[in-house]
Amino acid sequence: MKNYWKRGEPMVLAAGATLAAILFMTITLMAVILGNSLGYFWVKGLVEYTLNDGSHIMGQVTGKELHALTNAKRVQLKVANRDIYGQDFRWIDESDIKGQSVPKEAYLLDRMEHGNFFGFLKELKGADGTLLNPDPEMLRKLSTDLRRQESALKDIKKKMSDLNQASEVIRLKIAKLEYRNAEANGAAIASLNEKRNNITEQFDLLKDELNSRQQELAKTTATFVDASGTAKEFALLDILNIHQPNKMSLLDKVWVYAGKIGELLFDDPRESNTEGGLFPAIFGTVMMVILMSLFSMPFGVIAAIYLREYAREGRLVQLVRIAVNNLAGVPSIVYGVFGLGFFVYGIGGSLDKFFFPERLPTPVFGTGGILWASLTLALLTVPVVIVATEESLASIPKGIREGSLALGATKFQTLTRVLLPMATPGIMTGLVLSMARAVGEVAPLMLVGVVKMAPSLPIDGQFPFFHVDRKFMHLGFHIYDVGFQSPNVEAAKPMVYVTTLLLLLIVIAASSLAIRFRNQMRRRYTTSHF
Amino acid sequence: MSQESVQTNKQPAILEVEDLNLYYGAAQALKNVSLSMLRNHVTAFIGPSGCGKSTLLRCLNRMNDLIDSVRIEGSIKLDNQEITGNATDVISLRRRVGMVFQQPNPFPKSIYENIVYGLRIAGVNDKATLDETVERSLKGAAIWNEVKDRLHESALGLSGGQAQRICIARAIANAPDVLLMDEPASALDPLSTLKIEELIDELKEKYSIVIVTHNMQQAARVSDSTAFFYLGELIEMGNTKKIFTNPEKKQTEDYITGRFG
Amino acid sequence: MAPNIVDKSLRNDRIAAWLIKSGGLFVIVVVIGILLLIGQVALPLFYSPKAEQLEKIPSELAELLESDNSAKIQSRKQGENGKITVQLLPGDRISVHQQLVEQDLLGNEKASEKKYLLEDKLPGAITALWLGRRGQSLYAGTDNGWLIRWDLAEEGEGRLIEKVEAFKDHRKITALATLLGDYSLAVGDSTGQVTSWMPVKTPGTGEDKRLAQIHRLPGFTEPVVHLLASPRDKSLAVFNADGDIRIVHLTTERLLLELKSGMPVKSSAFGDNGRKLLVSGADGKMVAWNLDIPHPEVSLSTLFGKVWYEGYNKPEYVWQSSAATDDFEAKISLVPLIFGTFKATLFAMLFAVPVALLAAIYTSQFMAPALKGRIKPAVEIMAAVPSVVVGFLAGLWLAPLMDKHLMALFLSFIFVPLMLLIAILAWRPFAEKTKVGRGMIGYEFFGLLPIVALSFWLAGQVAIPLEAVLFAGDLKQWLYSSLGIRYDQRNSIVIAISLGFAVIPIIFTIAEDALSNVPRNLSAASLALGASRWQTAWRVVLPSALPGVFSAIMIGFGRAVGETMIVLMATGNTPIMSWSFLNGLRSLSANIAVEIPEAPFNGTLYRTLFLSAVLLFLLTFVINTAAELLRQRFRKKYGRY
Repeated sequence: MKNYWKRGEPMVLAAGATLAAILFMTITLMAVILGNSLGYFWVKGLVEYTLNDGSHIMGQVTGKELHALTNAKRVQLKVANRDIYGQDFRWIDESDIKGQSVPKEAYLLDRMEHGNFFGFLKELKGADGTLLNPDPEMLRKLSTDLRRQESALKDIKKKMSDLNQASEVIRLKIAKLEYRNAEANGAAIASLNEKRNNITEQFDLLKDELNSRQQELAKTTATFVDASGTAKEFALLDILNIHQPNKMSLLDKVWVYAGKIGELLFDDPRESNTEGGLFPAIFGTVMMVILMSLFSMPFGVIAAIYLREYAREGRLVQLVRIAVNNLAGVPSIVYGVFGLGFFVYGIGGSLDKFFFPERLPTPVFGTGGILWASLTLALLTVPVVIVATEESLASIPKGIREGSLALGATKFQTLTRVLLPMATPGIMTGLVLSMARAVGEVAPLMLVGVVKMAPSLPIDGQFPFFHVDRKFMHLGFHIYDVGFQSPNVEAAKPMVYVTTLLLLLIVIAASSLAIRFRNQMRRRYTTSHF
Repeated sequence: MSQESVQTNKQPAILEVEDLNLYYGAAQALKNVSLSMLRNHVTAFIGPSGCGKSTLLRCLNRMNDLIDSVRIEGSIKLDNQEITGNATDVISLRRRVGMVFQQPNPFPKSIYENIVYGLRIAGVNDKATLDETVERSLKGAAIWNEVKDRLHESALGLSGGQAQRICIARAIANAPDVLLMDEPASALDPLSTLKIEELIDELKEKYSIVIVTHNMQQAARVSDSTAFFYLGELIEMGNTKKIFTNPEKKQTEDYITGRFG
Repeated sequence: MAPNIVDKSLRNDRIAAWLIKSGGLFVIVVVIGILLLIGQVALPLFYSPKAEQLEKIPSELAELLESDNSAKIQSRKQGENGKITVQLLPGDRISVHQQLVEQDLLGNEKASEKKYLLEDKLPGAITALWLGRRGQSLYAGTDNGWLIRWDLAEEGEGRLIEKVEAFKDHRKITALATLLGDYSLAVGDSTGQVTSWMPVKTPGTGEDKRLAQIHRLPGFTEPVVHLLASPRDKSLAVFNADGDIRIVHLTTERLLLELKSGMPVKSSAFGDNGRKLLVSGADGKMVAWNLDIPHPEVSLSTLFGKVWYEGYNKPEYVWQSSAATDDFEAKISLVPLIFGTFKATLFAMLFAVPVALLAAIYTSQFMAPALKGRIKPAVEIMAAVPSVVVGFLAGLWLAPLMDKHLMALFLSFIFVPLMLLIAILAWRPFAEKTKVGRGMIGYEFFGLLPIVALSFWLAGQVAIPLEAVLFAGDLKQWLYSSLGIRYDQRNSIVIAISLGFAVIPIIFTIAEDALSNVPRNLSAASLALGASRWQTAWRVVLPSALPGVFSAIMIGFGRAVGETMIVLMATGNTPIMSWSFLNGLRSLSANIAVEIPEAPFNGTLYRTLFLSAVLLFLLTFVINTAAELLRQRFRKKYGRY
């Protein structure tokens, strides 16, 4: 036994245990995220409890635990109906429960506002005020009818937004003319003003029409009661989805689940980001990363080529290389601060002064935007691209360069025809790694243009189609914002977990790709020269 | 001696080196080297490691330009044209003076693309010319039969000897006047070495060849003249037979008989 | 080959070389320019103030001048619509005159007046009098160095609060003024010294707050004749009899400007919200200056030293950049933030370094090679987990979980090593005697994974009854009431674990590379001499790879220092200086993220945050450069890979 200790075998096992601990942590992280997010879209059955005091309560069971002191079992129930109860979750001691049932007729409603509603259908009222038969079929029929009618309103909405944009364009023109010389351009301004008034009138007409039609649609209502009998009347238009979870088959549930994932990926968020989709955030993230790659990729590759192939190897290059390597380790927030000081206030401020003086003090480029965010992140990730490209150029054997030069190729021909094709996997590794890093980076973005709710996407149908000055939404910031800044954190949590899972999937996919590229490259070079 | 000078007159020197001094920074690697290499002749450079034979070889097609700290004094003439100065068109020079390296260095491209590389960078893209060159070069390098069915496969899959012959084919695709070979068989097995040596014998019909080698038997087998270098100096140069049977200098004899090296 | 093609390719080559060189240099210049730019934004913090004499004095400025500089009569607004006037009467009596105008509901004004005399017995003759700006307190200084303070807040009644022997050498107090905010009192005396005083609670006594000397400001060598407080910040103009003026700042104790009016000053005023100073002599001649004092409240001592702020009982390091009112004293000590940064980093490293290094040793030296190819990518993917994800889980999952199961956490510190020890002891017979055991060499950690999980579960099971028995079911309450330890939900343990989680893969990867790159023949030689595999790893491989391992630790350190989102989300962001691992903290990086959206462009806070970015930059740059140099030395020693 003494020998066993002396030879250090226990230390080997202890070292193994630390690796086990690391893996344990990683697995836990994944499990927590998966566990909390995957179930979010599953339509859970509704349970109705009758309590000892005679009251009824209905909801989805979300947790069970043993109270530390009393040793009493209790259940956590998502009761929803935020507008009636004020809170989404309730703990109920098991000793208080007299009986429980699974009411087949119970409804689960996704509403535009106030989250879900759990209850029973009591009354249906048509647009003309007549009472209709309150059964599920009728409800479904009315609802689909309404949806169809509502989508007809899209035309009007589209027209209104076009008018709005036209009016905004004219407003900016007027501002420009006024800034240049209000008196000399008096006539032009007056005519523009008239035009604008015209547009405003048309807009108001459309708005009235829309309002009246919406009011008409809103007349179709449904009255639901909760488990304790409190009635609540909704405009049917405000109810997005209607389910009867206790009646649904497994297949129905899977179908709904898939639908919700679709909604997550392609819809706008609702309820201050705690519900609905993530489309603007996904779009913003992808857009920003692509824009960033457009900046960081060419410059990073060129800088690496310069350092490895063109610069004379010496003290200076050595120093520069150390500097570049280390920039990869400079905290991202420092880049954010730089982006704010240099891009936003420095360049952006000057651009505004020269090109948009009439709009001041409202900034165009002098405030955070997707362009500045991408540039900031490009700076942050350029060292990653440089290092990866340099490494892969360095790993190409000298004989290949000499072989090409000895055949009468110029340096540039050698570079483009032999070296760059060989270095491509390395460059791709760098690019993908930098993208993975950019997708997950939040701190610098908070300073240079990310917002919790962007009114419009950076790309739309309005000239010049791609608006680099616009603020944008980002998955990572979405996590921070919804998880830490929203008023009802408990209700927002599932959404944050879902966002986290999505972000993590993107990052892990990108990183695995990069690792794959790198291993491929290593394998190729270790067999190519002997 | 007189017989040699007759030969020199009959086959004029293609490369002439005069009073060449070469420095790596402060260290002198070649000292006052003068020699000439004959047309359609195999010249071998022998000598112990670090004697400057490879350095001299690399001067002949200006591969030393790649090293920053190199300084050259003296003159090298290719067909009576000076090639050491800044005025020399290095690109054209290298096309006239091809080179084969110690390690086979095929590019990670297909065999076909490896061979036509020199043509492509010179702007030749005519399919017929390329095809014709590939066949001619591969045949010239005696590897046509081995690879003619897999021209479009990667050159990285070839064995060492095959890869080296591909490199030779790649060099002769440029139709050079001179072929420099820097220990072309040192990384190969005996059988491949034999093939390369036979190839050199064939190639000298068309090209002038300068070969650096460690292996004295090889020098004796393939070369017409031999130059022996020691510590950056040219000790002796002459007809290969004479160098190996009856060297004039003691150092040459010691080296050839294996007393040092 | 056609010569024009050669020419063309040569030309292309030259153009490309030029482009690549300029592009490469451009990137490098840009990248180096970052530091310069951030520094350039922060630098104006330390610019010296400038003053420029005005050619012409605007009339609205001249109107601001006080009528009488002797200050025998002073009046202030009191409350919403009151007015208070004090007058120093002969015999050191002071008359107080309060007027109050009230409006009833109908809008009729009703004026009431109160008049009384302050006739307290004083230790000396009054030589300086100052009525606080809000008319709440009255200060007097005597010819023998005493300060007297009255409270005039009550209607119709003045209360003597204290008499303080301010100067033991009984010098004459010649001028008094309260600074912006009406909290600190500046005292000028006959020796030319200017000091600031404020009410401070003496620790350990139940007494009221008493005036105490806080700052000593740069004064003159000849007597001070007048003090004038700036309406903009906590600075003060000090006048002597020759008309020399010094503008000094309270918090920094800095001499901001020295001006010479060239005549005895009769009256003076700040104009343009403290950006102009106007003085007039006895003959009515006026001189005015434009003052350019960019950041008076900043000095190295306020950024990095202990400062006695208004309302504090002793000098402290405090970060509090903003408050509800404009007249508050900005507290911009970077020390608590630097402290927080290092505390977070240190705790994280304490957790991460041993774990990562041991795991790296195991992976590089003992693990079956087939498995190694799978574990390394797994850890690399762990490195790619965005910090916002780690921070979110730390803040919203780990912190509440720990809050609930604090006891279990403490217990697991004992349980995990204990269980592992038992497992290790049981391992030997298993490994040597059974076939499965022998097959496990190189795969040991698989067997240990369930044991780690089991220990946590066991700790959780034991914790509940144990906590109920020992600490009446509430450990946190017990800690607070018995030991006085405050527990924050987002505390330093959460930081240590989450930040450690982010740093572990970095240290692991680099250290593992370094260890794997030690030539195999070294360890083979050791094994051939009869050393066990642990002895070989510990005595031969690790020492050889030490520079690489060390640089791994430093790079991890650099990453932890600058990490923003994790610290932002997993701590309460309270800038306190406490080493307790149950308290939160605020780091430099999180501070920037929290404060910069609210910081006005080019204001003091904005620039201070840039300064802290410079600090972060330099800190990580130095650490990383050192690590890089170490690694290069290592490479030179053992070749490239």
